[in-house]
Order: sequence, then structure tokens, then C-alpha cells
Amino acid sequence: MLVRRVTIAVLLIAASAAAASFPPINYRHRTLPNGLEVYSIEDHATPTVAINVWYRVGSKNDPEGRSGFAHLFEHIMFKATAHMKSEMMDRLTEDVGGMNNAYTHPDRTVYYEVVPSNYLQTLLWAEGERMGSLTVDEANFKSERDVVKEEYRFRVLAPSYGRFNNALSKDSYAVHPYKRPGIGSIENLDASTLADVQAFHSTYYRPDNAVLIVAGDLDPKQFDAWVDRYLGAVPKPSTAIPRVTVKEPARTEEKHFDEHGANVPLPAVGLTWLIPPAQNDDTEALQIASTILSEGDSSRLYQALVYKKQLAQRASSNADTREDTGLFTVTAVMASGKKTEDGITALRQEVDALGAKPVGAAELEKAKNLIITGALRERETNDGKAGALGEAITQFHDPTYVYRGLERLQAVSANDVQRVVKKYLIDAKAVVITYTQEAK
Amino acid sequence: MKTTLITAAALSLALLPAFAQVETTPPPPAAPRQLQIPKPVEKTLANGLRVIVTEKKGVPLVAARLLIKNGGEADPANLPGLADTAASLLTKGTTTKSAEEIARGIEALGATLDTGAGWDESSADVSVMSSKLPQALAFLADVVRHPTFKQEEIDRLRQQNIDALSVAMKQPGRLASFVMTHAIFGNSPYGHNLGGTPQSLAAIKRDDIVAFHREYYRPNNAILILGGDIAPARAFAIAQEQFGTWKGAPELARVLAAAKDFPSPRVIVVDMPAAGQAAVVAGRPGLRRADPAYHLSLVANSILGGGYSSRLNEEIRIKRGLSYGAGSSFDLRSDVGPFTATVQTKNESAGEVAGLVVDELNKLGTTPVEDAELGPRKAVLIGGFGRQLETNAGIVSRIGTLALYGLDLDEINRYISGVQAITAADVQKFAAAHLGGNDASIVIVGDAKKFLPALQQRFKNVEVIPIDELDVNSATLRKAK
Repeated sequence: MLVRRVTIAVLLIAASAAAASFPPINYRHRTLPNGLEVYSIEDHATPTVAINVWYRVGSKNDPEGRSGFAHLFEHIMFKATAHMKSEMMDRLTEDVGGMNNAYTHPDRTVYYEVVPSNYLQTLLWAEGERMGSLTVDEANFKSERDVVKEEYRFRVLAPSYGRFNNALSKDSYAVHPYKRPGIGSIENLDASTLADVQAFHSTYYRPDNAVLIVAGDLDPKQFDAWVDRYLGAVPKPSTAIPRVTVKEPARTEEKHFDEHGANVPLPAVGLTWLIPPAQNDDTEALQIASTILSEGDSSRLYQALVYKKQLAQRASSNADTREDTGLFTVTAVMASGKKTEDGITALRQEVDALGAKPVGAAELEKAKNLIITGALRERETNDGKAGALGEAITQFHDPTYVYRGLERLQAVSANDVQRVVKKYLIDAKAVVITYTQEAK
Repeated sequence: MKTTLITAAALSLALLPAFAQVETTPPPPAAPRQLQIPKPVEKTLANGLRVIVTEKKGVPLVAARLLIKNGGEADPANLPGLADTAASLLTKGTTTKSAEEIARGIEALGATLDTGAGWDESSADVSVMSSKLPQALAFLADVVRHPTFKQEEIDRLRQQNIDALSVAMKQPGRLASFVMTHAIFGNSPYGHNLGGTPQSLAAIKRDDIVAFHREYYRPNNAILILGGDIAPARAFAIAQEQFGTWKGAPELARVLAAAKDFPSPRVIVVDMPAAGQAAVVAGRPGLRRADPAYHLSLVANSILGGGYSSRLNEEIRIKRGLSYGAGSSFDLRSDVGPFTATVQTKNESAGEVAGLVVDELNKLGTTPVEDAELGPRKAVLIGGFGRQLETNAGIVSRIGTLALYGLDLDEINRYISGVQAITAADVQKFAAAHLGGNDASIVIVGDAKKFLPALQQRFKNVEVIPIDELDVNSATLRKAK
């Protein structure tokens, strides 16, 4: 409902362009002397332009005892800079018929605007401003922190399954900071200070830790000149950028967690497994496995749990690949009167079946078609194109993945799907989560 | 888009010296470029089915929507949820295909097929690669024309929907919206939950569903809208092939009696002690979609609660940090639809937020809006209009709404000028007549003990309904004792 400066992106399927019918994404790339990576896609179909700045910092970089800080910081980026008053970004976008928003992912924070194309120069100036400085004051900081606490209530406390969604990461990782919820907690948010904001900005918000992607109605020469002028002027710090080096160990045993929430009329269950980083060669096969399990009414989880056995009210799966160790999740909200043990058993049965024998040709083709059509739909807009390219650059460390991803997806065989399900799910250890109403 | 230039002037954006190292003011905009408005073309088949096509090249995708010109407003008074049940069952089996065969067939194409009911319409939507449009439309036609409504499928869907409702009724925001519907509309045709209630769903029989389908699903009560990578001539040919033999009963669908009297405004608290946040909603009867004040209502709402920098969000989120977001909208329908403003806030601040919402509603009718605010809020609408037209689904949705309400499709070309023509005086007069906060009902779902005293200081006659005594089946909202 209220999608504005939202937290935690849902992982977009990053499969991309190469099939004959697929319109190409032709991008230009250069690196500025200060380290900023710049990509542009020229497309004059509409008189708008999408501006994205992808910073390579996410919830995994939350300081110790400051869970939720990267996301809180994202909100603060809409406050004052040296030459912009609080909310001036809204004056430059919303007020002229554009929009802006941002999201915080475990690995990255993305700021984006879509504006009438005659405002491109203005917005490049504004992005240079907030990359260069933040001058938020105590009153604005506290007020925005209150907004984020309301967002926490909105996402975690008010919905029936908010705490369950948080538990999936929390219970799945033993040591990696991915275990901390990106939305944070009231306590951790209250502990954050204005000094934390300045430290975070100078540590991570710098040209050599960012990617600028602009798609739409632009003139390449003019664009380059503006980028040099407004973003090329942001200095590159001499300090090193801290990176998360913690490695999540392989699981040695299956673990079970009982989680609870308020207002949970139907219990939920979930199983998770660790999967390799997005750059791994098995990523596309895992995406196809998840699509076969849960995309659409013909998917295996829907057919078995929701339709035939009527055990679950809904069921889903996700191949959540990340820069570091990711998660494969299968979840179900139980139908009324059904036992959570039966839900867990049924979820396991479907995963086991996918590993027991290769999927049929038609089912494999269906999954590929669903992913390709979804990718096409994403690329109807300038912002969607910029987003697809940003995924390729930051998640796959390769802009050509925007084409190559689809080729790789097309090349996945039924044996590949069976092999990755067996390797990462069946032969590995699950975390099993049961979520029920807390005692009143 | 002239508005962008007006706005720029209002912001006093100054020209920059070209040599500046650190540039302290934003560069001004260049000359704006013209938005291309899509050009729908249409044809009516011999059986009365209206087909409208908007070609848009670029991405090899097509969106198609089949609209039936009746939905939840046609639910019998004792059977809320009938239209939605009938629409949801379309994909659950036809005379030639099982539910599983339909799902497998459509998904093999990489396509989606979604059906459901809204107010004033039932719909079936397809999104598909343009090379596979004929096959996807064959599924669309089959589910609309030949559903079997098997008892087994009815029972399964009923249980799923009742379970989903049991979850929805635990969400403060969803529950507040159910309650507000009763507060605004009482017993009139819009005065129920579109998806029904556990009790009404239990009462729906197969005969009711079959009768609903027979009465309303007919070509001369339907519109097919296509948008995207498809030439009109080819679209018309596919439509003829799939729908040309569709025959309906001769009599037209009944026209619903318009609601004449709306109930008096109420202030209702649903006490849900376990609520993690309170939902605050203010609502009142709004407008018909065909009302001449259409553009005016959009501009007024844009100022009040449409978009991030609207007054409600400015006062409640940006200035006070009391919510993740506050907003409002007119739901414009065939008959008078609702206006609602919604906010979620911590339980402790629900009373304060309710007061702030009512203050903002009143202010719009008593104080003229400055041009420096009016221009940007119009730009929000014009920009949003342009972005909607970037996607096939957006084009189909906008054209479909015009067609559904019998409006001239050419209105799409008058949208920008219609918005730009609105003056501050228009807004104030409109708000005084249609947005007065004292005529609005207030519904709060949350932990009442944390906000009731503050609320009662501001509002008289607060009805407090403990969650266990709430009955969403009736306008009284209380279970019989």
C-alpha cells in the first residue's frame, strides 16, 4: 500500500535479454576518475528519464548494535545536503511530475527517480549533492527515525506474518550479518545517533562505491558532460571501503525453530537452505527450481498443498541469491484446522520429488517462459531497464549479465535442475520454522 | 506539459554560472518534450462485444482485459461476495478443461490469467508475449464463456476465501476498511465487502453463481481491451475468432437503483487489544466517475492526500513522524463511490492522527490553496498519467475504465488540459462541498485503551466495539445479543 522509501527489496528475477524476440538493452559505460561507474541507456519512446544510483552498501553493513541502520540511513538521504533543504528531492521530482523512491537490500541501497526528461540535468546535480554531503539536523533525524519505527510497526507488528518473514533470515544464518533483519528493531533504531549518520555517509556514500544508471530520453554527449560536471566533482576518499568478510559456514545439522506472532489465525511453516552466491553457475537452475515449485496455479506447491491436499492457504518459494551465501526458502500458510507437521512434510515431499527425477520438457519450458515474460514486463519502462542493468552490475558483477543471464537460463537442462535441488537442498541441512499464535 | 515550466518558475530556479566548481543551486529544466497519447481504435462485433485496441510497439508483450459491466454492486443483499466468487471460479474449470489444465496451459505460454470482481465490473486479464496472444486469448475466451462451476471447486474456493478472510480480519488496515464500507454506504449496493464475509460465503450456492454468470456474462454487457505489440486489424480478427460465436440472452443486465440516502457520519472504534499498530480511516460518500467534477476531484485529492508531499503525509509523516504514510483517494464508480483517507500509526497516537486528518479535510474547504502548491500537485497527476501510459497494463486499465463508464475514449486526450484548467477557487468550493471533515465517518481499529481518552476529547459519540462483538455482516456492526 504505502510504498515509499521501502525496505528490503523482493529479489527480482534477473534473467535477461538475448532471445531473438527480446529487445536489446544497449548501454554505454565509462568510469570517472573518482571511481564512479556510469551507465546510460538511450531510449526516446517516452519523454521521461529514469535515474538510478546504486550504492554497494546494504543491511549487511549495519553497524554492530544498529540493526536497521542502513535502511534508516536511506530515509535520511532525502533530508538536507549542503545546498538542498530537507525534502528538496521531492520538489525536484514529485513537484514537476516525476517520482522518487529508494530501497534497502541486504547487499545494496538503491535510489531512483523518474522525471520528465528536461529535468535530467537538475537531477544529476541533486544526486551529486547527496553523494557529496548530508547536513541533516537532530530534529529531522529524530523525526525520520520515528517514521522508520512506524514502518517497523507497519511491516512487522501489524501484519499477521511480519514476524515470520523476519524469522526466515534470522533463523537461517548462524553468523553472517544477513541474519539481522534489515528493518531493525525499535531498540536498535533508538540507539542510533546523528554521529552514526555522518560516519556511515563518509564510509560508504562515495563515488567509488556507487553505480549511476540512467535510462530514457537522453542525449549521450550532453549526458556525459553533465555527469562530469556534477558527479565527477565529488571527491574520492583515500580510505578503504570496509567489506563484510564473514563467511556463513555450511550447516552440519538440521535445526528447528518455533516462532510466534500476535494475531496469527493460521499457522505458517517454512524450510530454508543455504545456496551459493549469485555469481555461482547454479543460480539460474535454482531460479528455475523455485519457479517450478511456486510460480502460478500450475506450480507444484500450489497443486499439491493448496489445490489437491488443501493443506495450505498459500504456498511459495524463493531462490534468494545474494552477493554472498543466499537462501532457498519454501513456505506455506496452513489452511484452517491443518497441522503444521503435515505442512512441513508436504513441503519436503515436493522438494524431494524435484530432486528424485528430472522435470519433464514441458514443465521446464513453462518455467523458462514465465521467467522470460516477467523479465520482458520489467523492461517496459525506463526504470525497469535501469533496474535490470543494476542487478546485473551489482549482483552478478557483470553488466553483460543483462543479456547473458537469459542465455544461461535457456541453457539450463532438466538434469541441472535435479542436480542443484539434490546438492543444495536434499543433501544439505534445512532450517525448519514453525510460526504460530503467541500465548495471550 | 506546460505545468513543468510553471512549476520551475514557481521554484525560482536560477541559471548557473558555467564555471562553478561547487554549484549551489540546481540547474533549471530544459524545454519539455511532448507526451505521446495512445490512440485507441475500436470495433463492435455483431454480438455486441465492444473491442478496443491500442497499439504500442517496443516490447513484444500484449495486455488484454475482458470486462463484464457488473461486479460487486450486483451482489444480492444477502450474498456479498457472489460476483467475486463467480469471477474467481472462471479459471477453475470449463466444459473442456480442468482447473489444472487451464493453469498449465496458460503458464506454458509464459502468460498470466487473472480473474476477479471489482465494483461495477468483473474482469479477466491476460498478459502474454505478443507471439502467443492467440493461444492466450483462447484461454481467456474459454474461461469467460464456458465455466462449469463444479461443486468441488466452489467448496474449495469457499474454504480458501474464508481462511483468507480470517487473516484479513486480523489486519487493522483491512478490518478498518471493511467497517468503513458499512459506515459510508449503510445498506446500499456498495455497502458490503466485495469479497464477502465468512457467513455470506458460506451461504452462496452453485445456483446463485450459475445465475449470476448467465445474467451478466454476455457479449453485449462486455468490453475487450487490448494494448501493446498488436496491430488493430489482427486484434479484431483474433477477437472475432474467439468471441464471434458468443451469444448472450437477449435481455440486458438490470440497472441498479442508485443509493439516495447515506447514513449519518459515525465515529467507530474497533477495540483490538493485540493490534501492533492502529489503522485510522476517515471516509464519506464521494463522486460518480462520470461526474463533471472528475478532474477537480483529482486535483483536490492530490493536494490533500495523493502522493508523498500531499498535506496529509506532510502533516502526519514528514512534520510529526507519526506514520510511515498517510494518503487519501476517491474511488470513483458508476454510482457515488467512497472517499477515504487512511493512516496507520502507533496505538498511542491514533486519536491525535484522527484529529489531524479531520483538520486537513476542513482546511481545504476553508482556505484557498496557494499557486505554489497547486501547480506542483497538478504536475503530480500529469506525471503519473504519463507513467501509467508507459506500460500495456496501464493503458488497458485507463482505456478500460473510460469504456466501462460509458465515457468518450477521447477523454484521454483531455486529461492534461482538464487538470491544468482547475483553479484554487474551484478546489476550495469543491472541498467545502465534498470533503468537509465534520461530515466524515472515522473508523479506528487498534488497542483502544491507548488512544480512547484523546479521541473522546476531540470527537463526541464514539462507538466502541470490542473485536469479539464486531459483526461485519451488518451496518450496525454489532453481533446480536
